[in-house]
Formats: sequence, structure tokens, C-alpha cells
Amino acid sequence: MNPYILTILLFAMGLGTTITFASSHWLLAWMGLEINTLAILPLMCQSHHPRAVEATIKYFLTQATAAAMLLFASITNAWITGQWNLEFMSYSLPTTLVTVALALKIGLAPLHAWMPEVLQGLDLTTGLILSTWQKLAPFCLLLQINPSNTSLLLILGLASTLVGGWGGLNQNQLRKILAYSSIAHLGWMILVLQFFPSLTLLTLLMYFVMTFSLFISFKVNNSTTINSLSMSWSKTPIISSMVPFILLSLGGLPPLSGFMPKWLILQELTKQSLAPLATLAALSALLSLYFYLRISYAMTLTMSPNTLLNALPWRLPSNQHTLPLAITTSLTICLLPLTPAITALLTL
Amino acid sequence: MMYMMYFLLFGLVLGLAAVASNPSPYFAALGLVVVAGIGCGVLIWHGGSFLSLILFLIYLGGMLVVFAYSAALAAEPYPEGWGSWPVLGLMLGYLLGVVSVGTLFSSSMYDESWMVCDEFGEFYFVRGDMEGVATLYSSGGFMLAMGVWVLLVTLFVVLELTRGMSRGTLRAV
Repeated sequence: MNPYILTILLFAMGLGTTITFASSHWLLAWMGLEINTLAILPLMCQSHHPRAVEATIKYFLTQATAAAMLLFASITNAWITGQWNLEFMSYSLPTTLVTVALALKIGLAPLHAWMPEVLQGLDLTTGLILSTWQKLAPFCLLLQINPSNTSLLLILGLASTLVGGWGGLNQNQLRKILAYSSIAHLGWMILVLQFFPSLTLLTLLMYFVMTFSLFISFKVNNSTTINSLSMSWSKTPIISSMVPFILLSLGGLPPLSGFMPKWLILQELTKQSLAPLATLAALSALLSLYFYLRISYAMTLTMSPNTLLNALPWRLPSNQHTLPLAITTSLTICLLPLTPAITALLTL
Repeated sequence: MMYMMYFLLFGLVLGLAAVASNPSPYFAALGLVVVAGIGCGVLIWHGGSFLSLILFLIYLGGMLVVFAYSAALAAEPYPEGWGSWPVLGLMLGYLLGVVSVGTLFSSSMYDESWMVCDEFGEFYFVRGDMEGVATLYSSGGFMLAMGVWVLLVTLFVVLELTRGMSRGTLRAV
């Protein structure tokens, strides 16, 4: 793509998120979300492949529907209460509609169906931007509105963790697995949103770090299926040995840092007398753990039969910039002892 | 007066169902013309005469005309309208849905007046919509610049999406 156009589009993506972050007026928040949607469209269909174009169209339709619902909800709120402020939505219909619209925007179950198909049609870098940067602006809005109905957010959260677990079980395409993993993590974030919003932010940032490591590890191996990961031990042995830790961190196992958000969320849910819900959420994390384990089994724990020549490639110095991968992998593995500091930093 | 408002609002819903039920862009755009025209009427009754004029000129006379020309060049040779049963069934289904949801949520059609009272206690020199446009150009200057920049980015996005002439993203280009 023309570098000037790429610059303009990336700048517009930053601008959209910044506008939504800085806004207290619903119209401005909507504007930021629409700018984000528009600016990522050419990035998504860069390769001009029909599959990528299909993913772009699906993404545009779902995001436009969600933005239209957001606009309807904010106009209804302005009609009823006479003001456009984000934080002062006190009637249940606009607030519920806003929550559902933002759930469609980020891909929470049962509004998740677009996510695996869209991510499957994109290359890994664009999928990474979609999974991380595009979630920031809707979460900023979700953190600021007063939830109208306690059970709506809990149902969205629990359904997302379950769907993210069960949906990812039968996949061997890595991008779809990453999509279902995203859905499951978003479910965890929404579960605790109305009780302790700082934990939502903490889970979001931890998810960004973990999924960045995973996406970039897959990109370095240039693989989009589990089968193609099986020879990565001979090409990039260090990355192959680190990826199981990243995957187990995503699954939420102690002593890795992915345990931190799940632990704190379970503690908060128990404090709010929602212990059965906490148990269900913890059990649903087992489902996700299964497909994370399957990836690490195929990649690292097993050496697939292959010819001798393929098993001994020349390990030439690579041109890939792996410093961000190194940083985020270290953070993904070693951040658990800093839990009190991180919680204190992120308490809003 | 109320009959006029009834007529306008019913026409709005009919046009909305027409736009939603037609798979062909010709008939959907025709429904859109009807909806926009009636929407302008409703807007005038509510006091936004300037906004209604802008809607008519720019939306109908600019954007919809360009869309009609593009659709005439690019769309299907055998358009399906209300003459075919699936489309008519869809239209009736939407109308049924609207009527059922309407009766579910509304108390009565005759309890309150549908006419809007559009006056304040004192006499105003300018209407709300004209003053809003003027404010956009004065104290809302930063938002105007932001809007202009966003429209420019949209132009770049559309040009990038349609670049390539059938080797690119859209094979129909």
C-alpha cells in the first residue's frame, strides 16, 4: 500500500480511539468509533484476496449495525433525559441498548458470530490490530456507562466464556482459535465490569500483552494452521519453547501472569456472593485450556515425523524484528508477582 | 392537522418497509426518495425548516441522484419489486411486525395528540436548526475541522477500496 495512505489510515485509527477516549458526548464517542471502523477497512483488504474482501464486508456490516444501534440509544437517551452525557444515562432502555451495541462491536456472545470468520480472512498483523486496538474504544465506553441491568452483563460474560471455550475446540485454523480465545477473554472482562471496573482494565491490558505475543509468534513462524506449527521447533527453537508458556498464560494457569486477572476476578465475584457464577466461569476456562494445550502439544511437546533434511534447516539470521515479541513474552510469563503493584496502578 | 401528521408518519413507516423489503437498488432507492421526502415534511412540522431544505437538496438532490446513476450503471438486469411474491411477503411481514410491536408498546392512538407544539414562551428570531449550523461554524470550529478531516479520510478509504479495476478489491469496479 502507498506509504502516505498507510500513514493517513493509521493516523485516523489513532485519532478515532483518541476521540472516543476524550469524549463525554455520545455523538463524539460515536464519531470516534466510526472513524476507527472506516480507517481499518483498507488495511483489512490490502491483499485484494476475495476472502479478505469478504472479511472486510462482514466486519463493516456488523460494526455499522453496532454504531447505528449506539446512535439510536444515545438519541433515545437525549430524547428522554435531554442531555448527551456518557456518564449520566439513567434510564434502562438506552443503557441496555448501548450495552448490546457495544457487545456487538467487540464480539461478545451471543453477538460473536462475525468474529471467527472475520479474523480468518485477515493476515496475522491486521488480525492483531483488530483484536487489540479496536477493542480499546468500546471498552472505554463500557467502563463509563452505568449498567442498567445486573444480569445482562453477567449473561453476556458467562455466555462469552462458554462460547469461546466450546467454539474453539474443533478448530485447527490458528486465527479462528485466536478469535474464540478473544471471545472468552472478553467474557471474563465483562463479568467483573459492574463490580470492579479496574479489573476489566487490568484483564484487557493483560490480554493485549498475551495475545500480542501469540500473534507475533505465529507470524514469525508464518503459520496459520496447527499443522504448520509442527516444524517450528527446528526453525525457531527458542520461540517454540516459549509458546507453551504463552498459551498456558492465556489459559490462566499459575504461576504465569495470565492467572492474575482470572484470580482477581474470581475473588471479586466471590466477594459479591456470586460463587456459583465464579465456579462456572472457572470451569469454562478449562475448555479454552484444552485447545491451548493442543496447540502447544503440536508445536513443542511433540516432534512430528519428517525427513531428515527438513528437520535440520539452516538457521540463518532473520530480518524479523522480534524485540516486541521478546518484551511481551517476558511480560506474559513473569508478571504475576507484581499483582499488587499493577492493581494499585490501575485502580480507577 | 393531526390527519396530516398521521399521513406523514404512516408514509414514513411504509417507505421504511419498502426500503427494507426490496432486494433491488432501484426500488429501494425509490422507497428512500419517498422516506426522505416525508421525513422532510415531518421535520418541517417540528420546526426545522432549514434542515429540511438541506436534507432535500443535499441528500435527495445530491447523494441519491449519484446513487441512482451508479445503480443504473452497475446493478441487475432483472430487478424484483413488489410484483414478485417473496418481496411482497417480506414487505407485509415487516408491516405486521411494526404494527404488532406498536400495539404492544403504545397505550392508545387517541390519548395524546401527535401534533407537535413548536413554540416557546417568548418569540425567537432564529430557529434552533439555523442557530445550530451557525454555532457549528463559530464555537464548534474544531469539530468542523475534525469533520472535514474525517470526510477526507473517508475519501481516501473509498479510493483505496476501489483501486485496481477488477484486479483490486471489488471485481465489479
